[in-house]
Amino acid sequence: MAALCRRFTAALRLSGARPGSTLAGLPGLRLNLFHKNLAKAEPLHQLKFLHTTLSRKGLEEFFDDPRNWGEKTVKSGDAWNIKQLRGKSSEDLHKLWYVLLKEKNMLLTLEQESKRQLKPMPSPERLEKVEKSMKNIDLVVKEREIALRLLQTGHEKPVPGEWRHDFLGRTYWYSYKEWPIPWYLNKKYKRRKFYYLPHVDRFIRLRLEKSLRIKARRQNLERTRQKVLERKFPHLAVKSQSQ
Amino acid sequence: MHRATPPTPPLPPLPSTDRLEAPERPSRRGAMRLSALLCAGRLRLPAGYRHGTWRPGTAAAQLRNPPGLRRRKIFVEPIAREDWKVFRGDTVQVLTGKDAGKQAMVTQVVRARNWVVVEGLNTHYRYVNRTTKYAGTYIASEAPLLLNQISLVDPEDRKPTEVEWRYTEEGERVRVSLRSGRIIPLPLRQRWDGIVPEQWIDGPKDTTVEDALDKTYLPSLKTFEEEIMDAMGIVETRRAKKSYWY
Repeated sequence: MAALCRRFTAALRLSGARPGSTLAGLPGLRLNLFHKNLAKAEPLHQLKFLHTTLSRKGLEEFFDDPRNWGEKTVKSGDAWNIKQLRGKSSEDLHKLWYVLLKEKNMLLTLEQESKRQLKPMPSPERLEKVEKSMKNIDLVVKEREIALRLLQTGHEKPVPGEWRHDFLGRTYWYSYKEWPIPWYLNKKYKRRKFYYLPHVDRFIRLRLEKSLRIKARRQNLERTRQKVLERKFPHLAVKSQSQ
Repeated sequence: MHRATPPTPPLPPLPSTDRLEAPERPSRRGAMRLSALLCAGRLRLPAGYRHGTWRPGTAAAQLRNPPGLRRRKIFVEPIAREDWKVFRGDTVQVLTGKDAGKQAMVTQVVRARNWVVVEGLNTHYRYVNRTTKYAGTYIASEAPLLLNQISLVDPEDRKPTEVEWRYTEEGERVRVSLRSGRIIPLPLRQRWDGIVPEQWIDGPKDTTVEDALDKTYLPSLKTFEEEIMDAMGIVETRRAKKSYWY
């Protein structure tokens, strides 16, 4: 716990969010100081608690700050951690997702342009960080969704399913699909065979034998490899004997 | 830190939910290209992969380990991940070989082969950047050493010692030299992107520490989508048509 606090207080900065358009859907408005050509700030007494961005940059958002054009490296902070994201509300995550998306578009444009001009992309690790942050947001949302679903229904998976056989006798997890018509009217579905005929039993047995043979071969290989290791490194044999 | 609702335990990494097949199905990735493997988060190398001093996935590695290559298996003494004692940046002493008795810093560690590359020691000479006209630069290149050929060095004694992992009174796991009982500190680990947290100054696109650690989450019985719809004032009056799941 102490190590955790120390890590938090060690100034790890994070990238991705512009200060003006984020955080804590408060009814008040924070002026975005970095965009001078901003329209008039919207009135405070609005019913919506979630603000959309006020920046009207248009296609400029596909490009980085002009001060960074031509630089060999651009400084960027750390990616968003899962632990930090777990403490954020849905609105914050929603806003952060779009901020990260726009940043990702900008970086991908930059990557493509540097490929076109046959030059190295300045600081490609920014793209990795943005992708990692977006993946973490997705994970957090999925976690919350699964927790709620488990609480309300007891199911973990969003889509129900069951174990079924196919026409070759193999057992697999069939997940249900959404159809507009019931199964007895669905010609495509009725053509699918979720059963196997008696002549397939022989092949099931052969397949089982094959898998057992593969497993036995793998185990034998492990044993011979272990013997060779014990021959080369005798102390391993001593340790395994004492255990 | 008191929370209103019991905290959700950290869930194990989710399997890919777009194809909801049997969870225990082994993935068959034999046909995947090595370059694509780097894009997937975890690197999955072929079974008989021969590790060298090059990083798997780089051009040099792909040149030396083309797909379909089968080489004689090298048996490496299995060392558990938590028992590993030597890290990059440690000072070690070479015990055997040409440079026996000399101490230097570790520049590279290859755990798959229990290798350690020490700066400037156990060198052989070779030519690099050779062209048809130019003979090449004659440089010294270090050969890797096995773990039993090197030994960690006591920080004050500067003599080689046996090292063990032990726990301090605070609960921190440290390396302790068995001869004198002194703690060998872990070498300073640089971040992969070169950031030094103590010297960091926020850029225009960076969130401040306070804002990042600020907890705005209030657990509720609404899904993410429902919460966003409430916040944006979206009211869904359409009703879904009856659909069948099978």
